[in-house]
Amino acid sequence: MKLIYSELKKFLPDLSVEPHQLRDDITMIGHFTNFFEEINDEIVFDLDIKVNRGDCLGYYGLARDLSVFYNIPIKNLSSNINSQSNYSLPIQITTNNVKRIMAIKISNLKNNPSPQWLQTFLKCHGVNSINTLVDLTNYIMFLYGIPSHAFDTAKSTDNLIWEMNPKFKEFTSLDGSKLILDKNILMINNPDKALSLSFWGGESCAIDETTTETIIEIAIYDRTTVRQNSRQLKSNTEASTRLEKDLDPELIPMAFNHLVNLILENCGGQINSQIFDYYPNKVISPQIEFDPKKCSLVSGINIPTDFSVDCLTRLGSTIDDLPSTISITPPSVRKDLSIEADLIEEVVRFWGYQKIPTNQPLTFKELTDITPKEIYLIESLKDQLISLGYDEILSWPLVDTPTDPKSVVTTQNSVNTEVIYLRQSLIPSLKRQLDQYERLKLPETQFFEISKVFEKVGDNFIEKNSLGLYHYNFKQLINDLQKLNLSATIFDNNFAEIILDDLPKPNKYIPKLQNNNVVELTSQTITLDANLTLDTKENPTELIKKYSKIIGPESLWKLIITDIYQDTKTNKYRYTFQASYFNIDDKTAKKIHLEAFNLI
Amino acid sequence: MNQNLGTIKNQYISKIADLKTDKELETLRIELFGRNGLINDLFSKIKEVAPEDKKQYGTDLNQLKTDLEQSLLSKNVQKSEKLTSEKLTSTIFGLPKIGHLHPITQTERELNEVFRKLGFSIYNSPEIVTDEFNFTRLNVPKDHPARDMQDSIYIKEPEYLLRTQTSTIESYLLKNENKNLPIRAAFPGSVYRNEKVNHSNHFVFHQYQAVVIDKGITMKDLIGTMDLMFKTLYGPNVVVRYRCKYYPEVEPGVGPDMQCFKCHGVGCNLCKYAGWIEMGGSGMIHPNVLKMAGIDSKVWSGFAFGMGLDRWTMAQKNIKDIRTLMGGNLAYKPNEL
Repeated sequence: MKLIYSELKKFLPDLSVEPHQLRDDITMIGHFTNFFEEINDEIVFDLDIKVNRGDCLGYYGLARDLSVFYNIPIKNLSSNINSQSNYSLPIQITTNNVKRIMAIKISNLKNNPSPQWLQTFLKCHGVNSINTLVDLTNYIMFLYGIPSHAFDTAKSTDNLIWEMNPKFKEFTSLDGSKLILDKNILMINNPDKALSLSFWGGESCAIDETTTETIIEIAIYDRTTVRQNSRQLKSNTEASTRLEKDLDPELIPMAFNHLVNLILENCGGQINSQIFDYYPNKVISPQIEFDPKKCSLVSGINIPTDFSVDCLTRLGSTIDDLPSTISITPPSVRKDLSIEADLIEEVVRFWGYQKIPTNQPLTFKELTDITPKEIYLIESLKDQLISLGYDEILSWPLVDTPTDPKSVVTTQNSVNTEVIYLRQSLIPSLKRQLDQYERLKLPETQFFEISKVFEKVGDNFIEKNSLGLYHYNFKQLINDLQKLNLSATIFDNNFAEIILDDLPKPNKYIPKLQNNNVVELTSQTITLDANLTLDTKENPTELIKKYSKIIGPESLWKLIITDIYQDTKTNKYRYTFQASYFNIDDKTAKKIHLEAFNLI
Repeated sequence: MNQNLGTIKNQYISKIADLKTDKELETLRIELFGRNGLINDLFSKIKEVAPEDKKQYGTDLNQLKTDLEQSLLSKNVQKSEKLTSEKLTSTIFGLPKIGHLHPITQTERELNEVFRKLGFSIYNSPEIVTDEFNFTRLNVPKDHPARDMQDSIYIKEPEYLLRTQTSTIESYLLKNENKNLPIRAAFPGSVYRNEKVNHSNHFVFHQYQAVVIDKGITMKDLIGTMDLMFKTLYGPNVVVRYRCKYYPEVEPGVGPDMQCFKCHGVGCNLCKYAGWIEMGGSGMIHPNVLKMAGIDSKVWSGFAFGMGLDRWTMAQKNIKDIRTLMGGNLAYKPNEL
């Protein structure tokens, strides 16, 4: 959600904080603000509004929050409209998915390109300007968080019907997209034409600069229906994003009056119908029993009762005294406030999370150990395996081929149509890892994975912890399994797998912290030889350490001495080194190699 | 043997027999086995051989190579009394090979150690779960817009999915251990989302979560404990702020943000110019969550917090591509050089 600083100040004339401070304050009270930038001389904030705060998908909702936080008044930008007309719009509503609709007809208007201020506003919100009438409906949506719509009555007639799709197979939206409809779609139609979806206007009654007569409407629907329609039609619009949230029908009159006044001001024209207001089930805000002391009990710091009550009052709540507590009726615009915990959060966030100390963690408490014993087994095995020289890998749990088609677990909507099965064995994953290591020319690999394998038995899904092992040397693999006292199934000589769930498990195991020499390989390793002649016989390990240091850890993967010769004539010693380099090209590797061993 | 290769063999066996000095021997060895030597040249010509003859040609060529090597070696042995150098050992020397934990496991262990010292158990639960444990018990009923925060991977059987968050483990923990209160548990786990796999997104990633249920647990306990964890993981100078954040399973919700370690709060591409990096989510466990687990929220309260491990681990280990963590180009230096 974009927020223009100057536009916010229209609701909060006394707002005086600098943009940096405003960004931090809005974030701290729950609306994460990535950054602000300057667009057409306007300071524009980029906010992340959470799904529970549909009211903050408009300036008015954010201004309400900030007026409480800064303790400054919020200005009402709307004023009532009067209609002298006796004409009653022939609107029909045949579905109970409509919560409230307000509508009115305006005639003799002159629609033009939008004034500059309106074009700039929409540009800052990433919306293209169409014409004044359309742009004003979008403007009101951004101000109040409730979408509005204008019908060109020359195309739509006045006979609007809010209904579940009775017969239409196809719908063309304002941007020309053709959507295939079924019966579950909430629509606005006339008896002959599909005019609009609940969240997207239609091409058939679109407003253009020739429009002289319009019906303006603002409505709120059953949000689940809008959400399902939007998902079903794979169409996400600014309107659907808002109408999927729990919006306040009580806010419609304010937004509606503001819109009508702006149209009359910018497009001229006269109101040519009575105000249509369909509101079958008036919203009743819940009464919540609230104990202000709980704000301190939950936060762990002292929050004065007076502050709690004052804060909720400024939020627009009605407060009634009860014998031992108080009763709070939150404002209808705050659909997220329905239980005491909601009110406590309101008080704490306005008191300030930053006032809670950060240096008082929990201290040790001895409690029953509920650690599943297989976790101890896995931790112990991992430590034993790395002490035997094995590296741990993790691989994709989704695979392309089932090991046993009869018991495989299949996903419905995998990320990739080629890998739709949950693995039944770790071996295929280990083989893929080996292929990758071979492509990278890694010598003498030995690695393992401990992860879940899955199968379906009858109606039950079975998950088991499995250990998969690979060693380039088969004999060593067998030796290692014997050392671990594991009886594993051997595959293709160098792979082994064992299900861990049936093994005896330790009652306790505290794992060790290990150093980790992990590297992301971006190219093949390069192996080069070097002969070094020395006057005296040296300790090979010390030589390896010395030349490892000279080459440096940034490019050296492995260094070994493969041969040691003594020249019987000169009594000198020749050491043959083999150095492997990683993440550098051939030329660089050779240069480093020649320099390190002084071979230039 | 291929006739041509046979001729070559005879020709060089004869040449080897005529060798008199070490120098001649070395010259011939290079002529045959050097980088631009005859054997390499013959191997490079294998692509010119007719497909049906390739196999036989390869076999013959390998045989030729072996025969000539043997011949040179035996010549060497016959003249050993003239050699001036002597091989001292057949052992290959190197630093001892050590194995490594996966960097995600490493991070999990560091966190487990922090929490074990505070009396936490380590917990886990199934990865194939029902909608009830993944959403409903976490205060996210059907058609709640919070479900859009997570694109799930479903199993063919209706109502089953791969867990999308470690909070699902919390659902199991609270249900299974509601008679063992108070509890402290931490749980690392892999979680799944329907995300396209690319260098910065993966469908499987790793989270870490900790849960406490006790009498009189407060936000101060939560924030203090989280701060201890961040300081252990990122060092004592890490700057973390705690702000209001919405998650359906907690209330009040707390969002920890770490000051960007690249720009130190100024704003850069890593932190999307916010100066801060969102580190996960936390809060006081929602009364509805406790109620669904059969825990009386008038007596017991608790906190939960969770964080992703992949991005931090990548930054710490200088891994640029998230795919590397899951069976890609992740490798370990064989010893501490």
